Amino acid sequence: MTEETRQVLDVDVLFVGAGSASLAGALHLKRITSKAGLDISIAIIEKAREVGAHSLSGAIIDPRTLNELIPDHLEKGVPFEAEVAEEHMYYLSSKSKFRFPYLPKSMSHHGCYVASLGQFTRWLGKICEQEGIDIFCGFSGSELLYENEKVIGVRTGDRGIDKHGKPKSNFDLGVDIHAKATILGEGTRGSLTKTLINKFNLMQGKNPQVWAIGVKELWQMPKGSIKPGYVAHTMGFPLGHDIFGGAFIYGMKNDILDLGLVMGLDYKDPSIDSHHELQLLKTHPWIRSLLKNGKMIAYGAKSLPEGGYFSLPKLTVDGAMLIGDSAGFMNGQRLKGIHLAMKSGMEAAETILNALQKNDFSDSTLSDFQNRIDKSWIKTELYKVRNFHQAFDYGLIPALVNTGLGLLTGGRAWGLLNHLPSKNGHEHLTKLDSGSHSGGNGGNSKYDQLEFDGNYLFDKVTNVYHSATAHDEDQIPHLHVKDTDICIKRCTEEFGNPCKYFCPADVYEMTGEDNNRRLQINFSNCVHCKTCDIMDPYQIIEWVPPEGGDGPAWVNL
Amino acid sequence: MKILVYIQQDQGKINTVSLEALKGAQEIAAQTGGTISALSFNSDVTSQLAGYDLAEVLLAEDDKLNTFNPLFYLKALEDIAKAESPDIIVFGHSYEARDWAPRLSARLDIPLISDCIGFKKEDKLTFIRSIYQGKLNSDSVVNNGAFIVSFQSGAFRADGLQSGSAEIRNVTVDLSAVNDSISPEEKFQEAEQAVDLTQADVIVSVGRGIGKEENIAMVRELSKTLGGEIAASRPVVDAGWLESSRQVGSSGQTVSPKLYLALGISGAIQHVVGMKGSKNIVVINKDANAPLFEIADYGVVGDIFEIVPKLISGIQDSQ
Amino acid sequence: MKICVLIKQVPDKDSSLNIADDHLTLVENNITWVSNESDNYALEEALLLKEKHGGEVIACTLGKDSAKQVLKDALAKGADRGIFISDSSFENLDILSLGKVISSTLEKENFDLIMTGLQSDDQGNSQLGLILAELLNMSHGTLVMGTEIMGDSTIKVKKELEGGWFQWTKLSLPASISIQSGINSPRYATLKGIMMVKKKPVDEVTAGDVSFDALEPKVSINKIYVPDKTKETQFIEGSPEEISEKLVEIFKNDIKVLN
Repeated sequence: MTEETRQVLDVDVLFVGAGSASLAGALHLKRITSKAGLDISIAIIEKAREVGAHSLSGAIIDPRTLNELIPDHLEKGVPFEAEVAEEHMYYLSSKSKFRFPYLPKSMSHHGCYVASLGQFTRWLGKICEQEGIDIFCGFSGSELLYENEKVIGVRTGDRGIDKHGKPKSNFDLGVDIHAKATILGEGTRGSLTKTLINKFNLMQGKNPQVWAIGVKELWQMPKGSIKPGYVAHTMGFPLGHDIFGGAFIYGMKNDILDLGLVMGLDYKDPSIDSHHELQLLKTHPWIRSLLKNGKMIAYGAKSLPEGGYFSLPKLTVDGAMLIGDSAGFMNGQRLKGIHLAMKSGMEAAETILNALQKNDFSDSTLSDFQNRIDKSWIKTELYKVRNFHQAFDYGLIPALVNTGLGLLTGGRAWGLLNHLPSKNGHEHLTKLDSGSHSGGNGGNSKYDQLEFDGNYLFDKVTNVYHSATAHDEDQIPHLHVKDTDICIKRCTEEFGNPCKYFCPADVYEMTGEDNNRRLQINFSNCVHCKTCDIMDPYQIIEWVPPEGGDGPAWVNL
Repeated sequence: MKILVYIQQDQGKINTVSLEALKGAQEIAAQTGGTISALSFNSDVTSQLAGYDLAEVLLAEDDKLNTFNPLFYLKALEDIAKAESPDIIVFGHSYEARDWAPRLSARLDIPLISDCIGFKKEDKLTFIRSIYQGKLNSDSVVNNGAFIVSFQSGAFRADGLQSGSAEIRNVTVDLSAVNDSISPEEKFQEAEQAVDLTQADVIVSVGRGIGKEENIAMVRELSKTLGGEIAASRPVVDAGWLESSRQVGSSGQTVSPKLYLALGISGAIQHVVGMKGSKNIVVINKDANAPLFEIADYGVVGDIFEIVPKLISGIQDSQ
Repeated sequence: MKICVLIKQVPDKDSSLNIADDHLTLVENNITWVSNESDNYALEEALLLKEKHGGEVIACTLGKDSAKQVLKDALAKGADRGIFISDSSFENLDILSLGKVISSTLEKENFDLIMTGLQSDDQGNSQLGLILAELLNMSHGTLVMGTEIMGDSTIKVKKELEGGWFQWTKLSLPASISIQSGINSPRYATLKGIMMVKKKPVDEVTAGDVSFDALEPKVSINKIYVPDKTKETQFIEGSPEEISEKLVEIFKNDIKVLN
């Protein structure tokens, strides 16, 4: 295939990723440009086979943005599970639970809705299509296209290449989509976003981004046993005081219980395993009682950007912008990011309208996006919690104190400081020989008690089976490990190959004995959470999109 | 209740699935007080059929019925159905039956309940079908009138056929007006080495769960250690990891070895129909919900990559 | 060549199937809907024939509202137009009755070829192609593993027979053929293809357009259920070592395949 035969598609504005940020952004853009008398072409490319298939969240959605974007969303049948009906916050020990005596209003979910992000984005996607936006599913963004350091579009991934790199009979060469403005809404740890940030040093002067991983299971419970809109969050067991995070338990419709764990990807012990932590959670008597007579029907995992306001990169370059989780618009304290992602998309749309009218897509025009963000309630909300996550580096109790003081002082760390720094998550990992934890090459002893019975507790492979993820086996693995010698020669000794543990989908395995040891990558298990790209201590794993259409086929995660 | 069973044959040899269907018909007759006629287009076959417990055996002879051609077979059965007015026409669900029974249904304007795995007599005769690739079953009834039913291979056991003696009656059919819009040519086999799995006592079969081509080596070793043949379900063959002659299932071979050891096979219906008749089925799969466990004599919910190597050395040690 | 491809929307093979309280339908909230696997191969075969011999490919489906997606996917891959047959009164019809509905819709089109997948991954009746052949007076072939157009009025099909045998059969056009999975490599829908979908017409057909009189189902499904286990499966547990030890014993003493 020569470059001459590569197709080129010209659009005015291209969004990468059909998540809530891009969908809201595209919809708003379509409307405001039509109103302004402009007829523009808007395209969204999405790597999943259909909108929503790669969407995963808790979720509790703050309808604030939806009220702005689609005020009649209830009449339009927005597929919320239920309005939050009751909310609880607990501290768990291994056997008991203690209710938090007081929940500040700013941390309440009152007025919000329990929802499936997958169902929500599907609904939003349909509205976008009805209003004339082209959404191309099954197309991954494989590289950014430049012309003299200006982003001019995206090249989609080739399809139909076999595991040896040779074209198959249905080979389809990637298309170059040229756009005046390219908006990256790839979600957490976007792959194109990562290259853009690195190329233009967009994190200069910012706190490094830190992520958490969310792992969840959906449980089908007996009829009438689940109250839609039930919300509970927990801290303490099983993560303890040294690992950021906690559990969420939401009641959905049709007696489905949504159970998950959010765990900071800045823990110290390399043998920590988020999937196992979720299973440990289920050994708690209260959690076990919630799951009685239920059946696990789905599993998934995704990382989430926790860094907050100070971890937002510079949001624009010539020809491109970052929105949603790709930029890091998430409120870690409220555990909500969807409304912020959508609002960021809308502000991006306003910026683009201006750029279209001026016919100028250089950074000097697009950087108005930053001003808009700062003038909008995005900043108001995020600024108040700007030091939330960083304090967890000091442990749970100090972090709670910090949160409390932050509530009183509009976000000052310890009530005093404006800006707490952060460190890259993977840099928190301590080596095995530091003697500071119970992990080892055989895994963490805290998981020894787990008995995977296949009814309540599941081993990773069983959960992966329920993650509805599939990849064409006959392709080059999309997880690029730059130097597997490091895995075998250094990592085993230094960190105990934590990839086996931090991947929630059993992708990474060390196989073989002695001199035949090697890293096996079961890429077809991948659920696209990006944890490996984030957490690998040597930063040699690069996640790139697999063939378009591959990956999870989540319906209501 | 008149039941007419079509008996498929190839050069005088009766197709096993038809015999099994005949057993099914005998069971229906027993429960509903019906009579059974067996129909064949071959006189060697009708002589064999005369030794079963049937009301009668019908023989329709015509040069054009010597080898299978759907339009001729259709017309023959159409004429016979008009003359005999059966309430139920029974087929074995074979490849050949797939190529004309549904058209017969449209021709006679009576429904065909195809590929049934059994029946029961509740209020009405209720036919059981396997749907969603073996994950669920459905119970169907015919609302009224005559109908056609085809039974899946293995739904009944031919060795349970009641013997007896039946009269053979010739029936005439008029094929003069049938056109040759369908003209089959000679049968052939593909050039590759044809392995005869039907003769193997032990089959070690591998499915999607094997993950990749390199892992098949360990299965080959296991099969060699057991003195058996390696086989596979369709996805493995489609991926090119094993030759198509090793495929077990509805579009491969139907086998019934002493031991069928299934590794990483979930048990889609297409595969199950090819090995259901195995004397002993041992299933190893990491998914406890794999449908294949339903028909397993012995089951292991486990990781084949951990168990197979141990099994290989265990067998070697024991010998 | 005027080719019609019938495509059915079915649950994805990995969808978890939960039976609704009526014991007749599935709970749909966890199902991913896809085009039936063998129908995808039929569509690809049709598109290949069109590329080689010219003509048009019409994608046709009968189903609920969501089944329109199946037509969109076919149009994105290169089908020229679509026919969407849908009506609540069709929902409980048996396959013969559905065949009548479909044949009355397709009759006026005078297709040279009707192509279906071998069987649907849900009900798996494996009958539609032949029923249409009879109702529309066409020749037919099933379990087709290869096609070859010969001149203007004939198609040769390679049929799969039992036990690894094959057979080429000449069919006079018009013909209805049922395609087996694996016959080709289904293409991807290209970006351009997806963009063209909006421009391609889809005819909608409801009960009022069908010339058969009020169709009553000839066959009724009483219930659907998870199969009972008729066999007592002996589960072997333990570590891989323990399991393999027990298996060796079973192979030796119970099944008697080891000396």
